[in-house]
Amino acid sequence: MSYYLTTLQNITNWIRKTASENPVYFPEKFGHASYRFAEVKADSDIQFEHYTPTVLPPVKLLIPAREELLSFKKHADGKTEINPTLDESFRVIAGVRPCDLKAIFLIDLFLKDGVPDAHYLARRENTALVGWACTAPCDSRVFCAAVDSLHHTEGADIFITPLKHGDLLVEVKTELGEKLAAGTDWQTCDDGPARKVGTVADMPEPFGRTFPVTAQDIYKNVAEKWKSPVWDKHVERCFSCGSCNLVCPTCYCFDVSDDMNLDVASGNRTRTWDGCMLPHFAVVGGGHNFRPDPAARQRHRVKRKFEYLTEKFGHGAVCVGCGRCGRQCTAKIDIYDIVADLINEGDQ
Amino acid sequence: MKTVPSQYDQIARETFLPQIGKIVEIADMTAKDRYFRIELEKPLGHGPGQFVMVSVLGLGEAPISISNGPSEDNILEMVIRRIGRLTQAIHELKVGDQLGIRGPYGSGFNLDDFYSHDVLFVAGGLGLVPLRSLITPIIKERGRFGNITLISGCRNPAEELYRDQLETWTTDAGMDVIRLVDGTENMPWEFGTGLVTDPIPKLEMDPKKTMAALCGPPVMYKFVIKALNVRGMNFDQIFVDLERRMKCGVGKCGHCQINKIYCCQDGPVFRFSDLSGIPEALQ
Repeated sequence: MSYYLTTLQNITNWIRKTASENPVYFPEKFGHASYRFAEVKADSDIQFEHYTPTVLPPVKLLIPAREELLSFKKHADGKTEINPTLDESFRVIAGVRPCDLKAIFLIDLFLKDGVPDAHYLARRENTALVGWACTAPCDSRVFCAAVDSLHHTEGADIFITPLKHGDLLVEVKTELGEKLAAGTDWQTCDDGPARKVGTVADMPEPFGRTFPVTAQDIYKNVAEKWKSPVWDKHVERCFSCGSCNLVCPTCYCFDVSDDMNLDVASGNRTRTWDGCMLPHFAVVGGGHNFRPDPAARQRHRVKRKFEYLTEKFGHGAVCVGCGRCGRQCTAKIDIYDIVADLINEGDQ
Repeated sequence: MKTVPSQYDQIARETFLPQIGKIVEIADMTAKDRYFRIELEKPLGHGPGQFVMVSVLGLGEAPISISNGPSEDNILEMVIRRIGRLTQAIHELKVGDQLGIRGPYGSGFNLDDFYSHDVLFVAGGLGLVPLRSLITPIIKERGRFGNITLISGCRNPAEELYRDQLETWTTDAGMDVIRLVDGTENMPWEFGTGLVTDPIPKLEMDPKKTMAALCGPPVMYKFVIKALNVRGMNFDQIFVDLERRMKCGVGKCGHCQINKIYCCQDGPVFRFSDLSGIPEALQ
């Protein structure tokens, strides 16, 4: 790991230069107030500091909405040829906030576990991440500090922290980061960690929304609640549309379907995003639905984020506190409110 | 800059690419259930209670129970019910046609849990299909087990599966086979009527030395487990074979998650005592 000092202007120029050589994705404003990760073009406006969380998290660049898993071709002699489809093209995702870095770090863990997800990992290993520290809450909905994702940097190849007097501290954390930083005139910095302390000390307290318990204690407040009136309270307004799943940076469930080409001999198998809030998610062949009730689906979603995967992987909450699900919900259901209610109702 | 992780091509092949199996025999079991015997490129190497992902390329893929016992040859047997677009297409296939097969997946039954015990099978409807993959190896080593009883129930006489097999298990394999239908619906039927729970209170069994294996529709488990428990069987003597929606078979797609466990990898066969604290397990 090496530290450098530079200016915002230099970093912006470096992003433009990198984008002229490889695809670089960066948050871009669209509409009145929304942001999305888009490929940097010559005329792109590169603003590191001011943006609200993108509608879709950057991890979705690594888990596309439609992803071909394999293609097949039936030959005239009766033989069938099947080949996996892997995307091994290189890309840089820059301007990634700590919450989204943590989400990618978690998805890495989940998809490396057991049988590795080759399609994700091939893309992930050819992706460089450039993170940017948050020094103030990006909007009123976030609760990143409450779930311990505010200071997450693991997984970033380069991580940038704005310092008090306008300079930027650049942490080059990996070999890939070194390659990306090659040829820059950033000034070497010997006391990087010490300089970072000042920025962290100046962060507002509390940072975003908080829970009355520590990040560690959220787990037991959710885990101990199987029957609770909270499961019915918020879901009353739920349309089961699955928007919360779509925008969640730690949702990765998928459906698989086949497409046949017009030659009726070749085609492909594709996976598409699926969501546990959608009514069909747990329906089996004969028609039985193992979670027919929206309240059971919501409980599953919340427990997966705060209990099931927390227990399995031991990296704390799997919700990173980005606030996207609450921001996008038509019925204004916010996972923060659900968890806060579970904590506040005490032991039941 | 580009680093090509070549190992992923191999992993992707092992994970999602089906091997091509050739259908060598088809038989109608009921109006909607068809038996398929498949010859594979290489042996499946499966254990009892495991499943495969079966696909018709261009149409889709679904989890299907393996119905034959463990074997070293290249044969896979399944009974597939026509319930949707994919299974409809599979029913239209002929001998000589191809099916994509991935697997085997899941934890399955472990014969070591059953040796030296009396064995009770309770099968509801299609549940007999996966249980056959355990019955077959058990009767192959008949001497290593005590009494073997099968309670097989289905809706009506026309829906009974593996009729010939039920006969031979009774006559040649030293098994007590109790065949039940919910109702005869005016069809000829020389066996009993009632639910699979009905015979349990009167079964001649030593609850302490019996192991039970259950497979059937979701509604069946709770009642059978209760009846066995009343007879004095503990939850660690009962194995259940559960069904869930599955899209990958490797613990990634999320569909088969039951609370904190994944049916495709942790199951589909569970010792019932391991499901305490898993409130979504049975329905």
